[in-house]
Amino acid sequence: MGQPSLSRRQLLAGLGGLGVAGSLAFAALGTGADALASSADTRVRYWNLFSGGDGANMIAMLNAFRKEHPGIAVKDSTLQWGNPFYTKLAMAAAGNRAPELGVMHLGRVAGFSPGRLLDPWDVDLLAKYGVRKEDFNPALWNRGVIDGKLYALPLDIHVQLCFYRKDVLKKADLLGDDGRIVPVTSTDEWFDVLKKAKAVQKKGLQTIGLWTNDQNFQWWFFVAFYTQLGGEWFNDARTEVLFDVDKATQVLEFFRQHVTDGYVIPGAPTGEQFINGAPFTWEGNWSVPVFSGAKLDYGATPLPPVFGKQATHAESHAFVLPHQAGRGGATNEAAHELAAYVVQHALQWAAGGHIPAYTPTLSTDAYKNLTPQNEYVSAMDHQATEPKVWFAGSTGVLAQDLGPTVVSSTMGSAKPAAVAQRMKAQLTKLLASKNPMDGKTAAQGGAVA
Amino acid sequence: MTTSAQTVVAPARARTATAAATVRRKQGFQHGGWFVAPFLVLFALFVIWPLLRGVYLSFTDANISGEGASFVGLDNYREALGDSAMWDALGHSAYFTLLVVPCITVLAFLLAMLAHNIERGKWLWRLCFFAPFLLPSTVAGNMWQWLFTQGIGLFNQTFGLDTPWLTDKSYAMLAIVIETLWWTVGFSFLLYLAALQGIPDHLYEAAKLDGANAWHRIVHITLPMLRNITGLVIALQILASLQLFDQAVVMMDFSPGPELSTRSFVQYTLEQGFTSYRVGYASAMSIIFFVIIAAVALTRMWLLRNREEGGR
Amino acid sequence: MTTAETTVRTVRTKVRKPWTPSQIVLTLIGVAVSAVFVAPIAAALLTSLKSEAEAAEIPPHWLPEVWTGQAWKALYETGNITNWFVNSLVVSVLVTAVVLTVAALAGYGFARTEFRGKGVLMGIVMSGLMISPAVLGVPLFTTVQQMGMVDTYWGMILPQCAPAAMVYILYKFFQGVPRELEEAAFIDGAGRWRVFFTIVVPLARPSLAAVGIFTFIASWNNFLWPYMVTNNPDLMTMPNGIATVMNSYGIQWAQLMAGGLMAGLPLIIVFVFFQRQIVAGVAHTGLAGQ
Repeated sequence: MGQPSLSRRQLLAGLGGLGVAGSLAFAALGTGADALASSADTRVRYWNLFSGGDGANMIAMLNAFRKEHPGIAVKDSTLQWGNPFYTKLAMAAAGNRAPELGVMHLGRVAGFSPGRLLDPWDVDLLAKYGVRKEDFNPALWNRGVIDGKLYALPLDIHVQLCFYRKDVLKKADLLGDDGRIVPVTSTDEWFDVLKKAKAVQKKGLQTIGLWTNDQNFQWWFFVAFYTQLGGEWFNDARTEVLFDVDKATQVLEFFRQHVTDGYVIPGAPTGEQFINGAPFTWEGNWSVPVFSGAKLDYGATPLPPVFGKQATHAESHAFVLPHQAGRGGATNEAAHELAAYVVQHALQWAAGGHIPAYTPTLSTDAYKNLTPQNEYVSAMDHQATEPKVWFAGSTGVLAQDLGPTVVSSTMGSAKPAAVAQRMKAQLTKLLASKNPMDGKTAAQGGAVA
Repeated sequence: MTTSAQTVVAPARARTATAAATVRRKQGFQHGGWFVAPFLVLFALFVIWPLLRGVYLSFTDANISGEGASFVGLDNYREALGDSAMWDALGHSAYFTLLVVPCITVLAFLLAMLAHNIERGKWLWRLCFFAPFLLPSTVAGNMWQWLFTQGIGLFNQTFGLDTPWLTDKSYAMLAIVIETLWWTVGFSFLLYLAALQGIPDHLYEAAKLDGANAWHRIVHITLPMLRNITGLVIALQILASLQLFDQAVVMMDFSPGPELSTRSFVQYTLEQGFTSYRVGYASAMSIIFFVIIAAVALTRMWLLRNREEGGR
Repeated sequence: MTTAETTVRTVRTKVRKPWTPSQIVLTLIGVAVSAVFVAPIAAALLTSLKSEAEAAEIPPHWLPEVWTGQAWKALYETGNITNWFVNSLVVSVLVTAVVLTVAALAGYGFARTEFRGKGVLMGIVMSGLMISPAVLGVPLFTTVQQMGMVDTYWGMILPQCAPAAMVYILYKFFQGVPRELEEAAFIDGAGRWRVFFTIVVPLARPSLAAVGIFTFIASWNNFLWPYMVTNNPDLMTMPNGIATVMNSYGIQWAQLMAGGLMAGLPLIIVFVFFQRQIVAGVAHTGLAGQ
């Protein structure tokens, strides 16, 4: 080990000793570095999955709340969206170290073991802070109600949209008199539109972004178009799979054709392509602030009704109370207050592309003047959602199992008809499987009442 | 370059001690249990107990909340052995291992030869080749995720390619292999370098006198002298590669990769435990994995022993 | 080991050979290969000095058109990065301290002392070489969960503190230390613990340094276990936080690269200064497995 000079060795030993002592003191406190800095009376830890434009809006709303409620310290944390978020939320709740407030997708609530991993909302307390059932779309509100208790307070609805660049479509003569894309009602018309757009677009870019490699997006798109065809999933008793292989094949072939006809560059980052000049991209409405921020001349409609009937995939962000053994008191009330505040001040949130769940917001002029939000607000009326079973929900087991099979068809590594068969087999298997949280199958009720 | 202590020649034992001193001397080495106790406590709590607990859980249908588990016998194992997704995941880990281990061994050897034989700036070569190993797995993963992203990444740009590294199932694992080579070769490189420095110069001098050229010296002196270290490098790499997780999930944004093509065994196990909340099932898979790892480790020990006996 | 190395070094620096053709070729190859190794880190550094818009441009380019520190500034202002840095430091320092203490004691205990069941215990400890959070993650998590240590520093630290490999390395070392020194001290009436701390530990300093360095690197860079056991972003370490908690503005490549460098550069800088010790340490810990 060489012969370091004595002084350096002493210095190292000294530093090492100090480091160990300091670390010990720190670890003994048991809290994070951040806790040392907090001085407010009531601390609400709030975990969310909002990044991108959403993150900025959420922070702005939180800052407004903080300004009006100096006695409540809001400690917000953003986790990476997807499995890590749910994993961590579930683990925190199971480990009884959950934050006071969390956000999750409404579709996941039923499988998230309400009562065990989630605590119910105190509806009276919410009313005290100005949020009542009457202010919501009843169907939406009821999606958060399980066994008569409210477990999820909806913040928004978010949908998959067809974004288009007006500058490109204008050249292709695809804009109507209102400056919006011409209506499309069949697959033939749709591919015709793509063909015309491709003729005038910038070379080297793709014509449309379809997230061909992304199992989540491909799954959401599938749900949308399968619903357009009137496809069903299960019977009401959840004992039988009604999945229609022919309809599914039709949808999968439709996706695949985008690739075989050369409208898609598989793997190309879709948002970047659109910003750099690609005429179309299918994205969640959360991309609105990104594209607006890039100063694009663009519009956004619900996914085109190429199979005749309008339907686009919709999910909902909802506030939840992760299970805490000692939930109650000032922190719990502060969590209610914060959630109620954010739900009511969601105009800012709408600027992020989402359709606010709190209906009074929707009827304000400020909301009606938002573009392109006013172009797709109709999506509220024809939502395509996953079946209500314990294994459904955003990045849930259903999406996790079926998403990759959709991708394999779109990417051409499996035939659409074969994939549709495989999807049916998978659904059959899932329907027979038990929710690990309560050991019940979907037919036995599972966690869904 | 082994430990200095091992090379110290032990002086002849002093035989002049009195009987009392002998007793005291012997007593000094008695009842040493207290020395090992602190470690054993930690070891029992965080290694042995989880192992036993894993065995127990693997016979139950426990979920993540830790409540209401019931005994299900061998069901989990039966399901696991028939679970094609598990076999796929094991296949991905094995495929990764098969690609990485030979590449890294050869590359590490070549880099060590290079660094050993350049006479100037030794510290610089060591620094450059070893620095990536000092990066956290997630940082290295993020760097390469960005380099490989189609359109905006510098990898394709630099080499004039348009390869969908991260989004096509035929490239995704290769992308992870390339990242892993860059990130971890430094460790094996250092082992080789240390071993090269341990080869006595007089062997080479003697060979030179006998008229052996550089190639012959490598084949007849360097390579045989590196046999042990190569065995070690390969064994360590196999064990590490089979446990693929960090860089794969980071580069794939925590997804199982395009069409599940990069889902490793570890990732699938954690998905079962922490996404599907099936702790019992995940535990069964953990135990299966433990058996596989133990088999690899024991095979190496067996090979070593055979060789030693054969060499004598 | 080091005396030999140092001698070789001095000899070589004294007799500096001229630039032979083969040396020129080798050096050029060395430069080229080094460039390949450094390129990704350099690219990350350059990207961290671009604006976010420039970092996502199609096609990309190496050098920023406009040099800006906005990513570093934003990282510092909006993220948890300082928390994570402190957390990483606390966890790595404590893991290193605990591992050094318990592994040195255990290595000595197994190598030098006698107690009942030593052979069996040693065998069990060696089986621990095959167990890691990657292998036994889920059961280990439920164990720590049961102890109520999910989302605590100790939950992150303690499971990293029982590395059988480090015990094995020190065990091998202590086996090679001649007994005479200790025996002489015993005869002089010194107690066992005093012998350990005043005679054995100083002898073992190079090995302890190696184990300490290796443990620190491994702990600083550890991702899987902290990832499993921390849900609270305030408590995350650098590698975990950067990978899982993005700041609230999404994947922004410039910021991500800046954060990565902040996590990775400290060890690289330390490496530049303590290269000899670290190289010896890594080689030593690795070679001990031979």
